[in-house]
Amino acid sequence: MPRIRPAATLAFLWGRERGLIMRNQTLIPSFQRPSSSVVIRRAASYEHDLASLIYESLEVFKLPVKGKTVLLKANLVGIDPLGVMNTHPAVIAAARESFLRLGAAHVLVGDGPAMDRDTEAIVESVRLREFTGPLGRDFVDLNVDDVERVPLKTHASRLKELYLPKTTLGVDFLVSMPKLKTHHWAGVTLSLKNMFGIVPGSCYGWPKNVLHWAGIDRAILDINAVARPDFAIVDGIVGMEGNGPIQGTPKASGVLIFGSDPVAVDATCCRIMGLVPERIHYLSRAGTLLGHLNLDKIQQLGEEISSVRTPFAVLKAFQEVAA
Amino acid sequence: MEADSQSHLVEGICLPLLRDAQNADGGWGFRPGSGSRVEPTCWVLQALLNASQSDADAVTRGFGFVRQAQLTDGSWPSTQGETTGCWVTSLACWTLTAAMDSPQIVAAGLNWLCKDWPRDSTPWQRLLRRFSTQRDIFPINDSYRGWGWTPHTSSWVEPTSFALLALEQAPKDLLPAAATRRRQLAESMLRDRMCAGGGWNCGNPKVYGVPGEPLVIPTAWALLALRAHPEWPENEMSLDWLEQNISKIQGPGSLAITRICYETYGRTWPAGAPELRDLHAGNQFLQSIQVAAWACLASGPRPRWLSSGGANAV
Repeated sequence: MPRIRPAATLAFLWGRERGLIMRNQTLIPSFQRPSSSVVIRRAASYEHDLASLIYESLEVFKLPVKGKTVLLKANLVGIDPLGVMNTHPAVIAAARESFLRLGAAHVLVGDGPAMDRDTEAIVESVRLREFTGPLGRDFVDLNVDDVERVPLKTHASRLKELYLPKTTLGVDFLVSMPKLKTHHWAGVTLSLKNMFGIVPGSCYGWPKNVLHWAGIDRAILDINAVARPDFAIVDGIVGMEGNGPIQGTPKASGVLIFGSDPVAVDATCCRIMGLVPERIHYLSRAGTLLGHLNLDKIQQLGEEISSVRTPFAVLKAFQEVAA
Repeated sequence: MEADSQSHLVEGICLPLLRDAQNADGGWGFRPGSGSRVEPTCWVLQALLNASQSDADAVTRGFGFVRQAQLTDGSWPSTQGETTGCWVTSLACWTLTAAMDSPQIVAAGLNWLCKDWPRDSTPWQRLLRRFSTQRDIFPINDSYRGWGWTPHTSSWVEPTSFALLALEQAPKDLLPAAATRRRQLAESMLRDRMCAGGGWNCGNPKVYGVPGEPLVIPTAWALLALRAHPEWPENEMSLDWLEQNISKIQGPGSLAITRICYETYGRTWPAGAPELRDLHAGNQFLQSIQVAAWACLASGPRPRWLSSGGANAV
């Protein structure tokens, strides 16, 4: 049987608390910008002309993707024949078409599902091929991609390094494409939390439990500091409330949210969901490191938040994050 | 007709893919052209050892890759350069047992495995849990202990199943003294983690009062690990769950492991169930070396490691 090591235990507990005390950090230089733009667009259903809507929305940002390789990091959580827990394939297909139309040389689609190692079963259950056509090698199972050791920059968690997929590290432009969902451990799962999916199961398992032990909130910061998405597209046409990210209840919000600052995008999503982003632990800290959280630093384009606000139910443990 | 198409899938597609994908260092990656990793290498070796045609040179070089990947503490890492061992230690021990020429290497791996206790069920964590306001969110019996994917984390169904299979396959004289106790605790853990209606997911039978949905692959591996006890109600319920869900399987990896499991329990593959060749036609297994190896194991003769019915049954 393992021995109890009091010194190590105290050090561990101190380390856990240290993250809460560590303050006065400023935005990491490469993420500094005076303000961030976020576009909110209405889309009542997945039958909408999403390709045109997404293309027009991306044009606002004048993204440097011409001739580049883009990775659409979708949120493929599990077998989902009803299409309520994963990024909808219609949104993925429309985003892919839009980036190609913007001149991207190559648009990959990928994810590393956290709970189920049968990625192909998940992809088939959401009928991705029906929307995108055969992807062949343009679909990347990030769980089993070749990996590279990456020292972490922020040390918000106790992790010093992570092995991450070479595809994610090697693309020119990384797009986080989450679904608008509540999350039973983190509060919400949006473009920052979606990046958990780049951590490979082949190294860390299904689920990627080492991240839970490191602290979900802190691990989100560490991952995004080394692999920050260049852009986020959030599928809020139908999201999930309550006991997300898998067992919650579908919630139609009829929106897509776009932006090149994932913190600003996630903060806007929270406000649409009737939640206070400053009360979500990891978002609150992300607002000091990775992007803008405050309304006065976010230029809201498209629809007003108030016109699309759709309050999401949260678990009792997260009642304090509701506005 | 079915046998012909299965044979074509194995002999005409999967085995050539595996043979062509071996790297110069003797190992296999997860996809053709990927760097060698212990996990896919172990699965390919299992598939080649089970194949009718001899692949002696490829197998010898594959075993060589696995042996040289062992860390000094006896464990195996998930990827080259990583200095901490993990669950692939079970796969490596299990695979090298078949080589029958590496007893010291296997013994060191099994020794590491039996010393690798999960952190979620240490006496300290159990004490903390007693006083935690969140103890009812995830109601499990934390006196049972299996294995985690990585050291110092929690027990999960698949790595626990792999460890049980590794300990079961190993010659008795290589087993550490703690092996019997570890296996008993792990089997209890698996039984405790079964979902309410049968089947397993990664290891969360209930969260926030909501029953977890079983998944195919963890269910099949848990059933294979517990196959020495077919009379246990957990096995019967989970086999029934698997049977009810075979027709819905859309992933070839899930289908292959299910087929191995199902036939190991002596059940007849249901008529009208999906076939691997049909699923291969959809996405060519996403070029997954591991899935191709599993397909070979599912379509060929019963793997040798399943013929014992649990050689070292507890």
